[in-house]
Parts: sequence; C-alpha cells; structure tokens
Amino acid sequence: MRRTKWVAAAAALTLALTGCAAGATGADGTGPTLRWAVTLPAHWDPVVSGSGAQFRILSLAYASLTEINEKGEAVPSLASSWDYNAKGDQVTFHLRPNLKFSDGEPLNAAAVKAYLERAKTQKDSALFGDLTSIKSVNAGSDTDVVIDLTQVDYQIPLLLGERVAQITSPKAAQDPKKLDQSPVGAGPFVVTENVPGSHVHLKKNPDYWDAANIHIDRVELLAAPEEATIVSGVQTGVYDLANLTPSQVKAAQAAGLDVVQQPGFNASNVSINVNKKPFDDPRVVDAVRFAINRQEFVDKVTFGYGESTDQPFPAGYLAYDPQSANRYPYDVAKAKQLLAEAGYQPGAIKVDLVIPAQSTAAEIVQAQLGAIGVTATIKVDPNWATPFFAKDLALSLYGTTGRESPVQTLTAHFGPNGPLNLSTPYQPAGFQAAVAKARQTPLNSPDYQANLRAATRAGLESRALVFTYSQPNLFVKSKKVSALTPIPGQIHWTGLTVGS
Amino acid sequence: MLRRVLSLASGRIAAGILTFIVLLAVLGPLLAPHDPLEGGVDVLAAPSGSHWLGTDYLGRDVLSRLLDGSRVSVLGSVQVALVALVAGVIPGILSVYLGTVFEWFTLRLADTLIALPFLVFAVAVTALLGNGIPQAMLTVGILISPLFYRVSRAATLSVARSPYVEAAIISGASIGWVVRRHVWVKVLPPIAVALANTAGVGFVVVSSLTFLGIGVQPPAPTWGGVLAADLGYLSFRPWAPLVPTALIMATVWACNLLADAIRDVSGEAGRALLNSRAVRRRHVHS
Repeated sequence: MRRTKWVAAAAALTLALTGCAAGATGADGTGPTLRWAVTLPAHWDPVVSGSGAQFRILSLAYASLTEINEKGEAVPSLASSWDYNAKGDQVTFHLRPNLKFSDGEPLNAAAVKAYLERAKTQKDSALFGDLTSIKSVNAGSDTDVVIDLTQVDYQIPLLLGERVAQITSPKAAQDPKKLDQSPVGAGPFVVTENVPGSHVHLKKNPDYWDAANIHIDRVELLAAPEEATIVSGVQTGVYDLANLTPSQVKAAQAAGLDVVQQPGFNASNVSINVNKKPFDDPRVVDAVRFAINRQEFVDKVTFGYGESTDQPFPAGYLAYDPQSANRYPYDVAKAKQLLAEAGYQPGAIKVDLVIPAQSTAAEIVQAQLGAIGVTATIKVDPNWATPFFAKDLALSLYGTTGRESPVQTLTAHFGPNGPLNLSTPYQPAGFQAAVAKARQTPLNSPDYQANLRAATRAGLESRALVFTYSQPNLFVKSKKVSALTPIPGQIHWTGLTVGS
Repeated sequence: MLRRVLSLASGRIAAGILTFIVLLAVLGPLLAPHDPLEGGVDVLAAPSGSHWLGTDYLGRDVLSRLLDGSRVSVLGSVQVALVALVAGVIPGILSVYLGTVFEWFTLRLADTLIALPFLVFAVAVTALLGNGIPQAMLTVGILISPLFYRVSRAATLSVARSPYVEAAIISGASIGWVVRRHVWVKVLPPIAVALANTAGVGFVVVSSLTFLGIGVQPPAPTWGGVLAADLGYLSFRPWAPLVPTALIMATVWACNLLADAIRDVSGEAGRALLNSRAVRRRHVHS
C-alpha cells in the first residue's frame, strides 16, 4: 500500500512539473472538473461495498432513495416522499416520475424492489445485516415502493439513504461481477473510465433527478498519494480536493489552502472478543476499560481536532447518552487491581492486537495496556477483515464512520449479529428490548431521543467494545472549490462549484 | 589483509565508520538517554537539552530510538552476509570437485535464485512465515548466495586446473587438503570483497523492509521505521528524516568503501598497488 502511494506521489509530482494540471478544465477540454485524491473503492457495487466510508465515493455514480440534511434528518432524493401505515410496519416510498439509470433502464418501483431483494439475498452482500427489518418489497405502482417490515421500524427512511440504498440498474446487476467494476446507477455522474489503482473518470449525468443543481461537468478520482504529499498536490493544482489526515492540517493551513472539517458520526473503539480468553473474565474487560486514556488518542492521533468519546457516536449526537458518560474513567491503579483480583500477575496476559495496517492508535493501545501489565503484540494482517468479521480475533481496533440511522449504529455494534460486535452472539442484557423500543418510536415523537438514549445505555453494558475517540472528517481543498455543505458524514455534490 | 586494508585511507575511513556502527549496535541501548518505547505528552518536539533529536509522534525520544534500533540493522545485515556466504561458498567450491550432476544442479539453482527480486521475495516470505527480520534476512541471504557461489566457483576453477594442483592430486593429495592448502587462499580475497558488499546490501534491505513496516513489530525501533515515521510529519520536523537517512547512507557507503579497499589490496594487483605506493612514498621522503 505504502509503495503504491509513493508511486502515486511520483506520478502527481510528474504531472505538476510537466504542467498537466490545467486548472478547472478537464483533460479532454470539458467544463468545470473536480480532481479528488482519494482511496479508490475496491468495489463499485454498493451491495458488495457495504455501508462503510466508501459510500461517499459511490454516491457520485449512484442516487439513493433518501438523503439526509444538515441536521441528519431524512430528506427526499429518488423518493420524493414516504408514508407509514398506522401500525408502523409498512412504509411506502413514492418515487419521482420518469427516473432512469445511466444505461437507459427505467428507475421505477420494480428496480428498487430488485435492488433491495438483491441486497438481502446476494451471496457476497455486505448489506443483508442492515435489512433485517425488511420482510418484503412490492411495487404498488410504477412509482410506489411498498415495504412490509418484520417489526415496527420508523428508522427505514434514514436506513435507505446513501449507505444502504444506492440503487443499481437491475439490467446491469444481472452480471454482479461486471457491475462491481463498471457502475451503472442514476447518480449525478457516470463513470467513463475506471483504471483500478490509478484513476476513475466520471462525467455529469444529464438524467440525474437533480441535474440542474450539479455544476461540475467532470470528476477525476485519483489514487491518493502518500499523506505527506497531499498538501503539495493540492497546492500545485494536481488535486482540487483531498482527504486530509490531522497531521497535515498545519501544512495545509500554512499553504493557504482551505481545511474543511465536515461533521460526522465517527467513533473508534477497541474491539474485544468476550468469547476468547482472557476476555471471558469480566474483570479483565473492566481492567481494559479503566486502562484507556482517551485524551491521549485525541492529542496524538487527531492532533486535537477530534474528541474523546466513550460511546459509538461523538458527544452531542442525538443518541449520545449523557448518563452513561465517563462510566470507566482512566484509572491505571484500578485496572491493575482488577487484573490482580482476576488472578493475573503483571505480564501474565499476552494477547495479539490484530489490525489491518500500522497505526498510531494501535501503538497507543499497546502502551496503555502495557501500563497495566497486559502485553499486546501488534500483528498487522492485510487480510484483517476476514478474521475480524468472522469474529475470530480476540482483540482488535475499529473505527466507524457511523450510520444515518442511530438504531442501525447501535445494532451494528451491540446486536447479537452486529458486524462490529466482535463477540457475536453475545449481547448485553436488555439491549434487544431497548433498541426495539427506540426503533418503534416515530422520529418526530417527543420520546424519540429519550428512547434512543436508553437503547445506547443498554448497549453500553456490552463488554465487547471500549470506545475511545471520534476522528474528524478532514478535507483539504483549493480555493476554487466552493464550500462543502456540512452534511454529517457525507459529501453532497449538489451546489458544489469548481472555479477556474 | 587487515593490515593492508588499513594502510589505505579509504580502508581506515570505512573501518572507522563500521566500528562506530558496530559499537552503536552493542552499546546503543545502554547509551540511550531515555526508554525508546516510553511515550510522553510532548509529541513531535524540536531538539532540546533533554531530547537531542526531538521526539516522535508518540512523544518518544528519537535519539534513543535510533540508538536502540541500530542493533536490528547490524544484526540483519550480518545475518544476510553470513547466510549468503555459507549458502554460496560451500556449493561453489564443491561444484568443481563433486561431479557433473552436482555441478549442473547447483548452476541451475544459482541461475534460478539470481532471477528472483530479493526484496519482493522477502516481503512474500514474511507474509507466509510471519513478520520477522530473521526469516526475511534468511531469504535475502539465500537469494544473494549465487554471488558467492559464482565468485568462489570461478576462483576454485582457476586454481583446480593449475599444474601445481594437478601435481598435488597426482601425488595423492586429498581434495580437502587441496582446498585448504591452495583453493582457500585464492578464494578468500574475492569472497571478502563480496562479503563487504553484501553487508551493505543487507543494510539497505533491512532499512527498506522496516521502512515498509515489515520485519519488526511495533513499537520496536528501527532506522527504517524512524525514517518512515518522520516522513509522515514533515510539516512539524522537516529536517528529521536526515538523521536516519545519514546513518543508513554512511553505513552502506562504508561497506562499499571497505569492499573497494579489500579489492585494491588483494592479489597481485593489490600487492602491485601497495608496492607502487611504497615506492612513491620513498621518492617523496628521499
């Protein structure tokens, strides 16, 4: 990975030196072009890609049933409106008329039904776990998608947003492998060229439902180079926009570039498998909880741009439970005492901390566990995802970008089959009932927040996760790119302009 | 040979640098002013009285990490050189005496090994056998061994066909005696040159692997690891990569310088060179 980044950096430097960075005009002489340095998606089929951070890039090519606004509320997108039945176990989405995919196929209720059924049943679907509330999908008419639910669930409009319901062309989806590399959606842009590991070119989709508010003709996704060269890349015009690590903020600001901190739902954690020794002893887990000094992550990983959190969301979020805050404050002495009570002498516990790539956070966790006498050996496994999601690891780290639906966030972390619950099928007592109550509460109910917080409180009884800090969503952009709309965790392309 | 190498200025410089590096490897952990693994609140700090080379992204003392990390580089390069020496020289000499089947097999094996890119192969081996310097260096040593195989085989061939060796064999001398008495003397100088070169290659390989995060588990310090970490924080400490880079460069340069010096003083050409220098010195003093 590092080698690829250095090659990309060299390519960027070559482009800069040869003057190939030609302002806001695309390489083929088209109008405003946005060049975004980004980690290119491995998958372009949203069903396979799942609800992780890559959905932001896929949102260029795909439109979703709903979107969210700056407050995180569900707002119309492909669906202009939706309504629940009186009981709350059926929701009907009303699609805009005359929608079509970039391959000319109609985007109608049948296409949405085909997508959701594919997401529930396709063998390599990364979304099926998010769709357990959906019993069946039917086309009430050409524009009415009727979804029958397995339970009363008022989260569906939030759920079927960019992360879970980026609708794919049913015709293209007949060949899922091809779709995974050649996306066919109804998003604001259409992929014209995809060279894995190098670049992806997209052009404006005139058939996008909100095409009138798309002011960019072309988007060029370029493989992100080594982080130390991002700033110079934007400064020299090779890129217009790039994701930024906190360590580069100072350099970006010194270069006179715009540093954007988008709001988000990010939360990182130490994932523990309570089904494996030594974490099957609750006292050992409690020792780990007391051993974590969250401020150190904020200072050394986020350079002060993030914040500490002991919940699966940043503090201040709708579902953040103030009652549960600081239940396990940093207390090394207490952690050591708990380990002694569990019968472990200092150095007696040796455990592998398995991560996908070297990270500062892992070294901090290692040092903090070392301070209470737990020896954690960092093991970098490029194929980390396989044992992590198979729940084979004893100790790992994870950072989520969150979900638009707070209930989805809670079930993903604390549910018995939650993908981020390393201790499957373990779940804390009372969580199912609490989360069901939150799910059954209409979003406009005065009880909604209280019920959400109660579900968070119940989830935090889980011994499988120790939350640490919230990573900021940082971007650097050139001055010619207009301000990003502060949508939590997302980038919206409507209204965005690139000057010359 | 050592005395002859040290008679050259380049030999003295190389020996001085390498002695310094070896001393760092032996005494570095004792000389380190701080625990190289212990972080602090003062991250990415500039050099100061308490931290001569500043601190890294976790607040660890950079000087202490470089001193402690020197051992990994030295041991890694020594391992590469020794593995290549043993795996190359023994079959190289024996290929001349053990018959055509052994000769054919070892020649084809050497051709095969020399075609493999050793850095990429070392990365693959660590992925298969676990992330450790010993297995990576063992792999690199074996892949470099064809160099020693060819050098020792060529030197052995030149001796084996000489009249005095043939006379010795006709007189009843064993192959072992011939190797010890005649072959080894011829083989030693080119092997010494190759050994010094290989040690330099070993330093580069260890530094490259640890730069990529391969071979050593964090938080263990290495020169390559310190360099990689510094590159991520150039906006805070733009000069920082210079220190580990200078250490790596100086070591590799010294190895190559030593190899050149050994080559210069080896064999007839070396003796001629030294004689001509002695003559020049006599002219200067007279």
